[in-house]
Amino acid sequence: MLDTTIDIVNQKEEQAKKTAMFSTEKRSDQWSTLLVSVAETRDRRAFTQLFNHYAPLLKSFAQASRHEGWFPGLSEDLVQEVMIKVWQKSASYNPEKASATTWIYTVARNCRIDMLRRKSNTQHLPLESEDFWHEADADTPVSLMGQKRSEDKVQASLAKLPKEQDEILRKVYLEGKSHAEASSELGLPLGTVKSRVRLALQKMQILVAPDFRDDLL
Amino acid sequence: MSKVNHHPGSAMLVDFSAGNLETAPSICVSAHLHFCAKCRNELLRLDQVGSKLMSEAEPIEVGEHLLDSVMAKIDQLPERDANIVPSTSKMSDVRYPHLVNKLINGSQSSPTWRRMSSSVDVAQFATGQKKYEVALHKICSGGKTPRHGHGGREFTVVLKGSFSDEQAVYNEGDFLQREAGDVHQPIGAQNGDCICLSALAAPIKLSNPFGFLMKPWLRINPM
Repeated sequence: MLDTTIDIVNQKEEQAKKTAMFSTEKRSDQWSTLLVSVAETRDRRAFTQLFNHYAPLLKSFAQASRHEGWFPGLSEDLVQEVMIKVWQKSASYNPEKASATTWIYTVARNCRIDMLRRKSNTQHLPLESEDFWHEADADTPVSLMGQKRSEDKVQASLAKLPKEQDEILRKVYLEGKSHAEASSELGLPLGTVKSRVRLALQKMQILVAPDFRDDLL
Repeated sequence: MSKVNHHPGSAMLVDFSAGNLETAPSICVSAHLHFCAKCRNELLRLDQVGSKLMSEAEPIEVGEHLLDSVMAKIDQLPERDANIVPSTSKMSDVRYPHLVNKLINGSQSSPTWRRMSSSVDVAQFATGQKKYEVALHKICSGGKTPRHGHGGREFTVVLKGSFSDEQAVYNEGDFLQREAGDVHQPIGAQNGDCICLSALAAPIKLSNPFGFLMKPWLRINPM
């Protein structure tokens, strides 16, 4: 009887620990909190703080672009377009799914695509980049702890990547080079570029189930 | 929703996450994501890589009036923009990915079904690019398509129903990539029409000796 009571107490304590762990994992970085304020109360002071933090990072992101047709003069246009979208779309930000920085990165990536498309397309495209990453399609049941842990892991392991893997990731994400373009620029076979990227992703534990894809070399 | 078994390669998903994938293959990857939670989760993590690289870059100061200019533009915005596409075409389906319905309903000229063979109909989309022909294909229940090869790469996503070829059965959400030179003969499942989204890079080569009869219908013709 006593054993059973102790067991129940232990179970309750275990449960309480889990709950505490979960609540400390709750996303509480200041940028995500500010972004939620912008969404909920149209808080301009919070928006100004976000602008002051992100605008210089976005300008740096814009200037790293080596896309055909892109030039540094477009950088502040991109910053402006991204920050306006942040204001407009903040209601669709879900702090349980991503940090403010990751969400703002996706907005910046999409704005960059739209600006490039507008510049190069003379024909009508009935789609905007956000249609490709449609929110309603992305209601994945994600584990909050899983996503938070994954962000921490990405950050920690990114710093430890070998130079040749880091170089290719930067080419792909910042300069905007596809795997094929990176391969011709670096004078490396496409297979080598793909395997370096994949090794980096495996180290960051992004490819959790690498064997479900057909393209493993 | 049936289990998705065929996925885009990880390099393709990385290019998609970085925003470097061309429009037509991006349409197919996006359509696949609608059906595939596994790839959606992987994409969330891939976006974190871009996010970390962006946030660790050396910040560059912006012009002193940029904030004022953004604030002024915000004042002129309508409060919330609703991204609602009116459904006007019978071709659209609530279970389709958002962007497929938008391609169907949002085009300047509405896509319509054209007979391609006794068992296949095709409806082309205007996608503002010329590298790929993007279209819906309808394989009627039990219908056999002509055995054909490809002069270039082709991406296919099953939107409804299923079909099979010599290698496998493909269900809703499955993503297929065919390379130049691949030859196959898709056959529609017996239990209903199969609708696929495809992006085709170059003319199809028919391997049937009478295939030349089909050629005018299969010629790539991006809108």
